[in-house]
This record gives sequence, C-alpha cells and structure tokens, in this order.
Amino acid sequence: MDLILHLAVIVAIYSIFAISLNIEIGYTGLFNFGHVAFFAIGAYVSALLTLQGVSFSLALVAGIACAGVGGFLIGLPALKLQGDYFGIATLGFAEIVRMFLQNQVEWTKGPMGLPGIPRPEILAWRFDTLPAYLLLCLGAAALTFLVIGFLVLSPFGRVLRAVRDDETAAAILGKNPFAYRMGSFVIGSAFAGLAGVLWAHFITFISPGDFTLTETILVLLIVVLGGKGTLWGPVAGAVVLIFFQESVRFLRLPPEWSGILGPLQQMVFGLLLVILMIFRPEGLIREKGGRTVDRD
Amino acid sequence: MDSIPYYLQTLLNGILAGSIYALFAMGLTLIYGVLNFVNFAHGELIMWGAYFLYLAMAEPFALPLWAAVPLALAMTALLGAAMDFAVFRPLRRANRLTLLIAAIGLSFFLRNAAQLFWGAQVRTYGFEIRQGYRWLGMTLTPQQLAIIIIAPVCIFGVYLLFFKSRTGKSMRALADDLDLSRISGIYAQKVILSAWLVSSLLAGVGGILLALDTNLHPEMGVANLIKAFAATLIGGVGNLWGALIGGLIIGLAENVAVLFISPGYKDAVAFVIMVLILLARPYIVVGRRTD
Repeated sequence: MDLILHLAVIVAIYSIFAISLNIEIGYTGLFNFGHVAFFAIGAYVSALLTLQGVSFSLALVAGIACAGVGGFLIGLPALKLQGDYFGIATLGFAEIVRMFLQNQVEWTKGPMGLPGIPRPEILAWRFDTLPAYLLLCLGAAALTFLVIGFLVLSPFGRVLRAVRDDETAAAILGKNPFAYRMGSFVIGSAFAGLAGVLWAHFITFISPGDFTLTETILVLLIVVLGGKGTLWGPVAGAVVLIFFQESVRFLRLPPEWSGILGPLQQMVFGLLLVILMIFRPEGLIREKGGRTVDRD
Repeated sequence: MDSIPYYLQTLLNGILAGSIYALFAMGLTLIYGVLNFVNFAHGELIMWGAYFLYLAMAEPFALPLWAAVPLALAMTALLGAAMDFAVFRPLRRANRLTLLIAAIGLSFFLRNAAQLFWGAQVRTYGFEIRQGYRWLGMTLTPQQLAIIIIAPVCIFGVYLLFFKSRTGKSMRALADDLDLSRISGIYAQKVILSAWLVSSLLAGVGGILLALDTNLHPEMGVANLIKAFAATLIGGVGNLWGALIGGLIIGLAENVAVLFISPGYKDAVAFVIMVLILLARPYIVVGRRTD
C-alpha cells in the first residue's frame, strides 16, 4: 500500500513537471532541453531555505519565484534563437546549473548533497505522513493542471499556438512573439520549480547528480509519449512511464544486475523517443485541430 | 607559476584543445549545412569513436595502435551512416521538433549503450606515461604532438574534399538548395551519405585525440557537443572555416580562463561565450534560416 502511495506521489510530481514542459514544447513550440535546470533550482532553493529554518510556505514561494526568474534571465538571450539553437542553449544552461551546484561547495555542499530536508508544514498543517504528502502533491498537480489548462484555453494560449504555428502571421496581427514566448517560458519554469520543491521535500535528500540530462529526457518522453499540446497528455504519459520505470523494482532482480539495469532502462527511453518520433510523433493523445502536415 | 613559459604553456594547451574542438565543430556544421538541422547525437559519435579504439586495443582483440585506429574510424563512420539510415532518413521531411526529439533520444540511447558495455567509470588507453618534450620551457607530451600533427592534416583534408572535389561541390550545392541541386542531377542520397561519413570521421578522429590526451568517459559527448556548438556559432552556422576559427577561440578561451576562475567551471566557458555571442550578434544565427 505504501508503495502505491509512494508511486502516486511521484506520478503527481512528474505530472506537474511534464505539464510545465508541455506549455513550452507542446503549446509554444519551444525546444527546451534543459527543463531539469528549473526543477533543480526549485528543489535547491527550497531545501536550502528550510534547512536554514525558513518556513515551508515561504521557501515554496521562493523556490517557484527563483525558477521563474531563472527562466526570465536565460530566456532573454536564448529566446532570440530559433528552434534547435534554443535547444542547445537550454541544454548548456542545465549543465551550468549542475556545475554550479557541484562546485559552489560552500553554499550547496557540492556533490555531498543536502540531507535531512524537512517535510513541509503549512500554517498548522503538517504533511509528514505519506497520505498527507500525497494529498499535498495531488492538490498541487490539480492546481497546475487547472492554471495551465485555463491559460492555454484563454486568448493567451491561442496566441501561443499562433506563434508556434506561424510566427510571422502572429507578428502581423500585432502580437509580439518574443513576449509571448517569454511568458510561456517563465510560466513553464516556475511550475517546474514547484515540481522541484515538492520533489526535494518528498525525497528529503538531494544532490547535483539527481538533476542530469536523464531527468530532462524522462520528462520529455512523458510529454511526447502522452501527447504534446494536449491537456491530459502529460498526465497520461507520467502515469504510464513512472509505473514502467518503478515496476522494474518489483522484478526482484539479483543486485549484481543493477549496474546493467540502469543504462538498459535509459536505452529503452532513448529508443522509445526515436521510435515514437518516426511512427507516432503525436503521442498517445492527439492534439485536436493540430497540424497534421508540417510545413517547415 | 607566474612566468612567461607558464603563459606560453597555457596558450599551447588552448591551441591543442581548440584544434580538437575545431574537428568536432566542422563535422557538426557540415551536417547542419547539408541537412539543415543540429545533430544532437554528434557528441555520441565523438564518444563512440574514442570507445571503438578502446575496444579494438583491449582484450580479446588487443590490436596494435596502427591497426586499431583505422578500424575504430571505420566503425565510427559506419555508426554515423547507420544513424542516418535508421533515424534521420525516415524523418527527412518531418518537422523540426520531431527531428530534434529523435536526435536527442538517439544521443541518449547511444550514451547509455556505451555505459552498459563499459560502465560509467573513467578509462584511459593505458599507454605508459612518458616524459614530455621540453621546448622554451613548455612541455609537450607525445599525445599532444600527435594532436598538433593530425588535426591540421584532417583540416587540410576537409579543405581538399570540400573545395577541390566533385563530392564537395555537390555538398555545397545541396546545402544551398536541396531541390534545385536534385534537378541539376546531383544524387542527393549519395552526397548526404558522404557528408555523414566525413562528419563522423572528424568526430572519431577528434574523439580519439581527445581521449589520448585526457581520458574516456560516457559523458564526454555532451560536454563536447556544447563546445562544438559554441564554436559553430562563433564562426556562423554552416561555415566550415568559421567552425575552425571558433574551435580555436573556444579552446584558447577555456584555458586562459582557468588562470582566473576555478577549473571546475572550465566547461562553462564555452557556454558563457555562446550566450555573449547570442546577445551581441543574434543575427549570425538567424542569418541563413528561412523558416
């Protein structure tokens, strides 16, 4: 039972993470390959603050805000780039963030990581048991789903899709593509920060090694598998993929296999991405009215 | 430490690193020029090139270096061609996001495949460490001497191929306009294949040289992809000579920067340069694109 609750918490956190990437990749067409950086910023900011005795509510807000501001700052140069260049720039940014966490030992304890991150407490509510934490994460996931869902269905979301499909046409209609991309990027980064905060306080131990390209690939796969540019796609993707990833633990394989199993699983993820792109780029759930033929 | 030889040594190290980055960047920019996309899996060609040599020199093959190197390069070229055949050819007319996700998925697959076979630990080719040659207070190891000789030879080879041969001419035509060059009788499939072969050979040579001078690690591809990309940005994307100059600049900047900042941030230098370029001259990036 505990295992199922544990899984559900991870699914909820990854749903938030995936929904936040979906607004960028799915709705705005931003190839963000460094999404894990904002997850890491949220996790580290909140963990460091609560370890200093700051209350969780404040740390939560700070974690989300720092991730959003980080998105804004890196977006200033990077969002001027087209397509693949933006991908490389964000990929590089994520590497820098990881390098910073690893090298600024006096702030982040470097590779040793941060142990003993407290479970959250909001006003009089303590979320120190598994069901309580699940409730918190489900609440946060529902909130993310509703906020992002509201945004993408609003006129703001329509402009995002217009910028994605035809930047020139959107610009001619008086919409500033850069500003809308920035809006989408900052919102996505802030929610990735939220996912990071929840992750840090759930796992209670974080180190720079948790925030590598592997996480970016996993969340990218979740979005792409579920169906980018759809509301339920990232959630469906998170359920399928997290269960697949964690189910390996049930197999009770001999411990000497564990050195093989990790890379093997990652290979499957990589291969799955390639196969999906060749045979079903739209994922499990297809975007309604989405483009079936692409013109680039 | 604070002496002229020390600075000279820094410059020398910068040029050595830079000429390797130039090889990576030229391969990356070549594929970009012909196929108009950034090959995210280019770093994995670098890494696999180095590991193929390791494979050929380790038991049970235990080939001598002169036999192992051509074999490793041939395998790298084959891997490049296989990548194109299995992944990029079916996606030739796909939209850019699809192509990019497939490329990053492929890169992830190849990196973990290397980790599966050889583990995550750092390896070396196991040559005994020899006394370097000393000259003007600078030290040059035999491996570094190899870099100084081989990298310019490769660059000259690319020059000959690209500007003096029929295949090179076709590549440039293809880069300019795919449909138009097809109409004028260029067999695109063949030209694209040769672009992949040259690009992977450059990656393989660079990867082997880098691993000779430093070590082998499954993560070596990603770090060098970012450097190669920064180098292509400096030179203007799709421009071979630009990539060469850009590689040298990145190599020099990295090594000079270590005089001032912690070596832990050495790999960040390329990224910072990239961001500065993007802020200062974003048009070189947008330049040729028409989408």
